[in-house]
Amino acid sequence: MKASFPYMGTQTFYKKLIELFDLDVVPPPVPTKRTIDLGVKYSPEFVCFPYKVMLGTYIEAIEAGADTIITSGGSGPCRAGIYSEVHEKTLKKLGYDVEFIVFDDLNRDPKVFMQKLEKIKGKQSWLKVIDNFWTAYELSKAVDGLQKEIEIKRAYEIEKGSFNALFNDILLDFDRNAFTRKEIKKIYKRSKSALKAVKCTKMPPKKDRIKIGIVGEIYVVMESSINMNIAEVLNSLGCEVTRSMFISEWLNHAIYPKIFRKKSGQLLVDNSRKYMDIPIGGHECHNIGNIIEYKKEGYDGIIHLMPFACLPELITQSIAPNISKDYEIPIMTLSLDEQTGIANNLTRIEAFVELLKKNKGENQ
Amino acid sequence: MKIGLPNALINQYYISFWKPFFETLGLEVIVSPETTKSIIDKGIRNTVAEICAPIKIYMGHVIELLDSGVDFVYIPRFVSICDDDAFCPKFLALPDMLNCAIPELKDKMITHHIVSDNDDIATLQNYFDIGKLFTNDKKLIYQAIENGRQKWQEYRNLCVRHKCNSKIANDAVLKGINIEKNSSQIKIGLIGYVYNIYDNFISMNIMKKLADAGVEIITFEMLEDIQIEKQLQRFPKKLFWTFSNKIIAAGYHFLEDDNIDGVIHATAFGCGPDAFIGKYLELDSAEYEKPFMTIRVDEHTGENHLQTRLEAFVEMLIKSKQEEMKNDDIILPYKEEMESAA
Repeated sequence: MKASFPYMGTQTFYKKLIELFDLDVVPPPVPTKRTIDLGVKYSPEFVCFPYKVMLGTYIEAIEAGADTIITSGGSGPCRAGIYSEVHEKTLKKLGYDVEFIVFDDLNRDPKVFMQKLEKIKGKQSWLKVIDNFWTAYELSKAVDGLQKEIEIKRAYEIEKGSFNALFNDILLDFDRNAFTRKEIKKIYKRSKSALKAVKCTKMPPKKDRIKIGIVGEIYVVMESSINMNIAEVLNSLGCEVTRSMFISEWLNHAIYPKIFRKKSGQLLVDNSRKYMDIPIGGHECHNIGNIIEYKKEGYDGIIHLMPFACLPELITQSIAPNISKDYEIPIMTLSLDEQTGIANNLTRIEAFVELLKKNKGENQ
Repeated sequence: MKIGLPNALINQYYISFWKPFFETLGLEVIVSPETTKSIIDKGIRNTVAEICAPIKIYMGHVIELLDSGVDFVYIPRFVSICDDDAFCPKFLALPDMLNCAIPELKDKMITHHIVSDNDDIATLQNYFDIGKLFTNDKKLIYQAIENGRQKWQEYRNLCVRHKCNSKIANDAVLKGINIEKNSSQIKIGLIGYVYNIYDNFISMNIMKKLADAGVEIITFEMLEDIQIEKQLQRFPKKLFWTFSNKIIAAGYHFLEDDNIDGVIHATAFGCGPDAFIGKYLELDSAEYEKPFMTIRVDEHTGENHLQTRLEAFVEMLIKSKQEEMKNDDIILPYKEEMESAA
């Protein structure tokens, strides 16, 4: 079995998880123009952008030798839950011989879930399976933690690109040398001190820093190759950035019971109650909740990213003007797809940052 | 007191229930007029640009009702009408979205969750609390629900047993208008949500255009539940949205049914579920060797191209039917006209 997976954010986590199961991995290539073109060619016009990119990624992974795609499903009503069904059908019709192993919610059909897990685990013991997941989870926490720090510090780097180069090295380090939790911890510590060593300008006092929160649909928030590298763009304009979606947080939401209000994301859902009566299947509640949390934490503005015509995020977008008014925080929505004009969006981002800076000046 | 029913989204499917229900409770029911340019414009001004056309239209109808001075507007939140299915997120958040867009709606909106295990939503669980808002007479509420249910069953019967489309069936049930049906040798399965194909503005009268071309139209409401269920068996994992499932099942049914000559999928700009329905049918229609066409409409669509495409499609069906039957005698009404004009 040569397994591949959808590309979303840093791929260290997925790759490591599959490797820990002793399977051959064909890491999907970073989405490029070609990936998007391939995806668009075989996708329905009005399907969401992540669907198109993933389809392109799968084709490129198959070209690179993958024969199995491991991905997650869902229970809707967001369209992402049905992606794999249509992907598989499309790829088969195109003549690609590929097997899909799709993990739906455990409670949707526990038996099928376990069957699939058994297929992946092969001869490994169940204890090892739990250990694998735990290790991968720790890895995701480590990587995400470092990335979060970088997206704040990068705003002040003296030599452009130094944090990016360092982060690539760190990822490579994790990829090659981290197979146990102990090793992960070691590399994490090493990386932390490496981050400290990067030369930065003196950080301005807290009240002068511009902080921007990025919320939105998980794929476009996490995958920088299709979101115009927004975190870096904002950093280069001198803003600190926090993205609301990380694989480790997503796992936390799934793992922790609701009594851990912060870790399980329940706090965010409760925050959103005022605007949303019931959850509607995507991350809209978390996004609305996060906007409110960011305001409480003193952020200056919110950028809301969504794929064109994303069902749940259109609702967030519809409600955003009211949140913005109620909580006095500027929110800008950018919708992304294969037609996204970079220059147009850059202008909007620059104008938005100008506005935040001006706001800041007036408030002092 | 006047209560407004926006004549958009799935109103066409449930109006036979809602109208008698509210009337029995002693309310005057105002149904907003058919969609016009000005109604759409009102909707567009109050919704985000990317949202699907049906939601823009719904918004327009709600504003139209408020402008006409109704005391309440009925905006239900459809949560689920089939075991584990749901509705499109836009239905699930419809009242929330409207609340944010139209502040003056706040005290006028009548909303509740609709949860049911089948299409029949006329249950105490759903409607008792709504009845309570207008009367304390429990018996009257029971009676209102029952009246509504009976009318709605009549409507469904007309659709399924007599193969009437929703518009004809609703007119027969609510206004007592006689049923007029056209039958033809050319039958087209027209799949699409009730809010697309019966909205004359958005669909640019596709039903009438096809009827004028002498075609008999079969829609998803005319199928029995069992036929829908049968088709859904083919999916290891069916879609999440009840009406989308009905439509995709109808699509496959039409592809399989030898009496149907071609299938048209009418969809609106930005419809999320339809993106998948279209893909499934597009991939599979080739296997059935049956003509399949998608028509996508939005608030800007020009009418001429639709006319041309429909005519070409029908013309093609006639041609292949003639070849198949080795018979040139199939002459459709509009051809007679054309020939006499020539």
